[in-house]
Amino acid sequence: MTARLVGRLDTPASQEAATKIQPLLDNADKTLIMDCTELTYISSSGLRLFLTLRKACAAKGGKVVLRAINNDIRQVFTMTGLLSLFVVEDA
Amino acid sequence: MKKTLVLQNDIRQIPELAVFVDGLAEEMSLDPSLAMGLNLALEEAVTNVMMYAYPAGESGTVEIEVDAREDRMVFRLTDAGVPFDPTAAPAADITLGVEERPIGGLGIFLVRQIMDSVVYERRDGRNILTLTKNIT
Repeated sequence: MTARLVGRLDTPASQEAATKIQPLLDNADKTLIMDCTELTYISSSGLRLFLTLRKACAAKGGKVVLRAINNDIRQVFTMTGLLSLFVVEDA
Repeated sequence: MKKTLVLQNDIRQIPELAVFVDGLAEEMSLDPSLAMGLNLALEEAVTNVMMYAYPAGESGTVEIEVDAREDRMVFRLTDAGVPFDPTAAPAADITLGVEERPIGGLGIFLVRQIMDSVVYERRDGRNILTLTKNIT
């Protein structure tokens, strides 16, 4: 299953996105591809969404792939020690 | 250069903060990665105030003042909410595995990672959080 993230995943956008991730959680036994080609910004609220998905996958046997994250966003994942929890894939 | 932005304790106003910081970054000709880092640190610090400084349902403001010089930028966040020292929160343990990793606590961690100094004061019934970033 692939989800495409576009623009800024700031606090208000993440709160809105949190109401829409149920289909992904329902598929947490599979590979969830998060297409970040057009993701330009992420804050801790966005990281929490990724962590929520990752935890669901850990419980159900799936995995979360970060596809095409830009360097600045990769740096935020690295700073918080989250990068190693995900499969990172280039575009 | 000094500038001030006043926001309500409403998360939906966060995009206005981004416009403020981006405008500043443009005027200072900051590197885009640094601009994103400042955006992130400010969003985390301001979100903290919006979510926790005032009792639920009570409206209040957070004032963001910036004093930008060539070699450093100082951001001062002021609110009239309940005493709240974000710097007193225990540091997030970022070495934990996925099951043990708590969902929260990353915000103030990011602020500390990005900024060169983070200082909290309670003065005249206000919380004042001063964030300094050295520009190299």
